[in-house]
Amino acid sequence: MASLIKAQDLTLRFTPKNRDPVTALAGFSLTITGGEFVSIVGPSGCGKSTFLNVVLGLIKQDSGTLELHGKPITGPGQERAMVFQEFGLLPWRTIIGNVELGLELKGVPARERVKRADELIKLVGLNGFERHYPHELSGGMKQRVGLARALATEPEVLLMDEPFAALDAQTRDLMQTELLQIWERTKKTVLFVTHSIEEAAYLSDRVIVMTARPGRTKDVLGIELPRPRDYEMRLTPEFNEIKLRIWEVLKEELTGRGPA
Amino acid sequence: MRLRRYFSEHRRFWLGIASLVLFVCAWQFVLTYLIPVNPFFFTKPSLIAEAFKEEIQGARLWHDLAVSSRAFFWGFGAAVLVGIPVGLVMGWRRRVEYSLDPFLTALYASPLVALAPLFIIVFGVGVAGKAALVFLLSVFPFVFNTCAGVKSTELLLINVIRSFGGTEKDLYLKVILPSTLPYIIAGARIAIGRGLVGIIVGEFYAASEGIGFAISQAGDTYRLPEMFVGIIILALIAVALTELMRKLELILAPWRSGDEVR
Repeated sequence: MASLIKAQDLTLRFTPKNRDPVTALAGFSLTITGGEFVSIVGPSGCGKSTFLNVVLGLIKQDSGTLELHGKPITGPGQERAMVFQEFGLLPWRTIIGNVELGLELKGVPARERVKRADELIKLVGLNGFERHYPHELSGGMKQRVGLARALATEPEVLLMDEPFAALDAQTRDLMQTELLQIWERTKKTVLFVTHSIEEAAYLSDRVIVMTARPGRTKDVLGIELPRPRDYEMRLTPEFNEIKLRIWEVLKEELTGRGPA
Repeated sequence: MRLRRYFSEHRRFWLGIASLVLFVCAWQFVLTYLIPVNPFFFTKPSLIAEAFKEEIQGARLWHDLAVSSRAFFWGFGAAVLVGIPVGLVMGWRRRVEYSLDPFLTALYASPLVALAPLFIIVFGVGVAGKAALVFLLSVFPFVFNTCAGVKSTELLLINVIRSFGGTEKDLYLKVILPSTLPYIIAGARIAIGRGLVGIIVGEFYAASEGIGFAISQAGDTYRLPEMFVGIIILALIAVALTELMRKLELILAPWRSGDEVR
């Protein structure tokens, strides 16, 4: 399959208020093919979320090339949608209003919006909650809305920035499995940033391990587990072996650099 | 038992009423039995109540109220129409904020009622002069509260809109304005009080009708019960308008009514 996203030698520096400039990415390269589920793990502050924002088009790299379908990414676009860690739902909108947001911003007519939003609310299992407000929902439900909102615009690439990090452990397990089911059905390309080795191993076709800041690719591990995967698979020795492999690579970046 | 539960559930309302009733009774009692006062120099609730009954049956009070309301309406309306957009732009565009802030802060902090004579000279003794005074006093809470609201808008939500390709107009209409709404309503509560001051001062200074004029005239001619009627009506209007704003917030910003501190 041809490459869908191609990042080459991305470099990005930014200057936080009243502090020294930080190099978030230094020569980061990555190629993703269509339909792949790719996770990025790495130490805190290694620039993995920054990379997602560059792919999304909210931040521009200082140097290097980033292409989608062979064309440089210059800003946000139809083909990409993000699921944010802190959900990013508009508190003054109902659930259906939130799911419609992306379609609305792209100028989709109201009737079509509602129809599409209805379908996605069903897909993520929130039927019956259309008229509720975000503050009435649990964290897991909020992130289902975030997922539905991103999927509603029919992106080719789904960008997920630690989407389950704010959820409790059980909800998290549940959401991972549901995400896999939705992914099997919709066949999106997913770029998934996480802190959790277990999560990366369970979900992904490939896991990218990044170095500590400034971030570049340390290693790429293929996860050769059969699909569809289910929770029980996580109890097998093969799965643990994969986790160990990721850990071995990541460990070197976490140790010897001061307290985590 | 049931009565007790009723009172404990509605204690906020009944405690508030009780303190008011107590105050009025004490006032009446002291002036009736302890310190007999010359009615030219002070008055008591029973006399005020009588005057109240008379006034609301007459035509003058209603005419005065209508005159004052008109000036308040125009001045306050202009404050809303000018204050909110200025505050929005000030909060969103740093350069605008830096240029306007010192000037507006100085105006907000100074006792603008001192400008009443000037306004009456420029705009005349009619509705326009008072409306201009109301505007000047009530526009600043709108500007500053809107500005503070814009600045507290969550960056994440801005990024969400941008990530879906939203324009600057989308940012204003779909995120900044709704998230600023509760701040604007809080500003409106302050602006109501200041706007009423504007009306009264304007009418004290130069007028031939209006509720402020009625109060000052009653005072000048030692008709103290009538004067208090005007003051009480003003207080009732202020409370009603403020309460209206609270209701408005519950309707327009229901997501904020969830948690209270106590």
